[in-house]
Amino acid sequence: MIKAVESAEHSGDAGQQAVADHGGNGHGAAAPRVVRVRILRQDAPGEESYWERFEIPYVENMNVISILQQVAARAKSRDGRRVAPVAWDCNCLEEVCGSCTMLINGRTRMACSALVDKLLAESGDEIELRPMSKFPVVRDLVVDRSRLFRALERVKAWVPVDGSYDHGPGPRISPESQEDAYPLATCISCGCCMEACPQFTKIEVVRREDESAEEFDSRKKAAFDSGFVGAHAISQAMLFNGHPTGKMIADERLEALTSQGGIQMCGNAQNCVAVCPKSIPLTRSIARAGRAATVWAIRKIFDR
Amino acid sequence: MNRPPNAVSPLPHVTTNLYFGVWRQPRRGGCPVRIGSGVELSAARQFVTANDPSPSFLARHQFLIYRLFSLAGLIPVGAFLVVHLLTNASVLAGPGTFQSRVDMIHSLGPLLVPIEWAFIFLSMLFHAVVGFVIIANGLPNVGSYSYVGNVRYTLQRATGMIAFVFIIWHITQLHWLGTPFGGGKFDPHHATSSAAVVLRPLLISILYAVGVLSTVFHFSNGLWTLGITWGLWTSPAAMRRANWISIAVGVLLGGAGLGALGGMRSVDVEQARAIENRMDDVKRMMEGGQSPVDHQSRPGALPISGTTY
Repeated sequence: MIKAVESAEHSGDAGQQAVADHGGNGHGAAAPRVVRVRILRQDAPGEESYWERFEIPYVENMNVISILQQVAARAKSRDGRRVAPVAWDCNCLEEVCGSCTMLINGRTRMACSALVDKLLAESGDEIELRPMSKFPVVRDLVVDRSRLFRALERVKAWVPVDGSYDHGPGPRISPESQEDAYPLATCISCGCCMEACPQFTKIEVVRREDESAEEFDSRKKAAFDSGFVGAHAISQAMLFNGHPTGKMIADERLEALTSQGGIQMCGNAQNCVAVCPKSIPLTRSIARAGRAATVWAIRKIFDR
Repeated sequence: MNRPPNAVSPLPHVTTNLYFGVWRQPRRGGCPVRIGSGVELSAARQFVTANDPSPSFLARHQFLIYRLFSLAGLIPVGAFLVVHLLTNASVLAGPGTFQSRVDMIHSLGPLLVPIEWAFIFLSMLFHAVVGFVIIANGLPNVGSYSYVGNVRYTLQRATGMIAFVFIIWHITQLHWLGTPFGGGKFDPHHATSSAAVVLRPLLISILYAVGVLSTVFHFSNGLWTLGITWGLWTSPAAMRRANWISIAVGVLLGGAGLGALGGMRSVDVEQARAIENRMDDVKRMMEGGQSPVDHQSRPGALPISGTTY
């Protein structure tokens, strides 16, 4: 509480200065000298989170990753205290690996493609960074996204071709079906669709002291499997159910999609498609999965 | 800092206000933590510390239950809503028309009560119970993501809860208990006049308007999401086209509901009662050859042949 009051005073005069600095955010106006950022930090899983504010020199064409690099290099908060460098995840820096997802100014997006100039134009003088809220925090902005990958396992999001002998050439795929599948294949497993989904809620499993890693892992998977699989997994299931070889286990995918936490958890808010950085037609996949599940359920009831 | 989880938005509190269950706001920001919940169908669990027993019956049949929930919203609950609102709107053609519609429904006689329980009340209760479980397991976030679809998602839940309260009040007041819940009871032999008396206070009419419009929104928006759920419209273009169906149904039923309300309010109770009495006399004569009952408020001796039904 005291901390909040202090920082409010801080941003009082400093905030006005910042507004004067970059004079209305318009193009052609003087560039800001500094970038202010507040980061929701957490030291370890299960610990309480806290805000820390930083100030770094402005460089043209910065993105959120370059802010975080500067923050780590300085390891000093805005009020001059030495603090542990902020931890975050990133890899490819070109919106392909999907590892740098975080809440930037309250919205889920990729840190690598979030440009500082645009962020300042939408939020004024300070950029807010928070870890994703639907995944357990490991440290600071790093979250454990294993539920995302577990969901892909659940729906068997692959083409089953493993074996010790030559299967021969696969069936031909028509250009139409290639065009249909390609957008779905661009999924980068970033988790934005899960983060923005009001039906997808956090599941955090805490490891017990007397528990082996394997026991913890299986308990974690069981807990994840009771929750919503998420839009990305539904879309991947539709991608592989549309593939001539992947289709061979279509029923297994539909069985998974109609089990607990499956397609029925979708509430049609359609946030997933709105926040997807790759503009994947997720709601089309969900509706197709709904149709397939309808037919599959009828078959399951009447064809046995 | 007592920040709501998505505090950057212009509507920061929506995230938690519409939410069922007990949530704790962390002292220094961060995500709200659920501390009370525990419904078996739950897909949301904050911390899992015990070994899970094998999935319960409800968990194993979650898909079936949710699909039955979706279906129940259309048939019989939604279908009943359409019939009910259109029947009520017939009051705009005069108390005689409305009375004859009501008589048609009540011609089911002793079958009426089991039918309304089996097809209407129990289906509605099932839809409501599963609906509340769904609401309790979601975490609305229009504050952060104020897209049209998300606003509709939130309104769908809000109107569902309003409709639930309204329908319980509406049935208790008009159908079962009457006076203690405001106004009086609906009399199937004096359909228009008894309803008009109940709806006469402005407050009651406003509550009815809110309740009816919420129910109509819930149904027409639910029609659109039902089409996605079952896979009727799958492409974004098809969803946009289907949305017009939803809008048309909403406007039609909203108009019928408000029209019925306006019609009941503007009716001349004495005149309506006279018409109803004459129709009642005819019914009695046709049923058992009894002579007309002397209705207490019968104004003048209008000839029976003058009825217009």
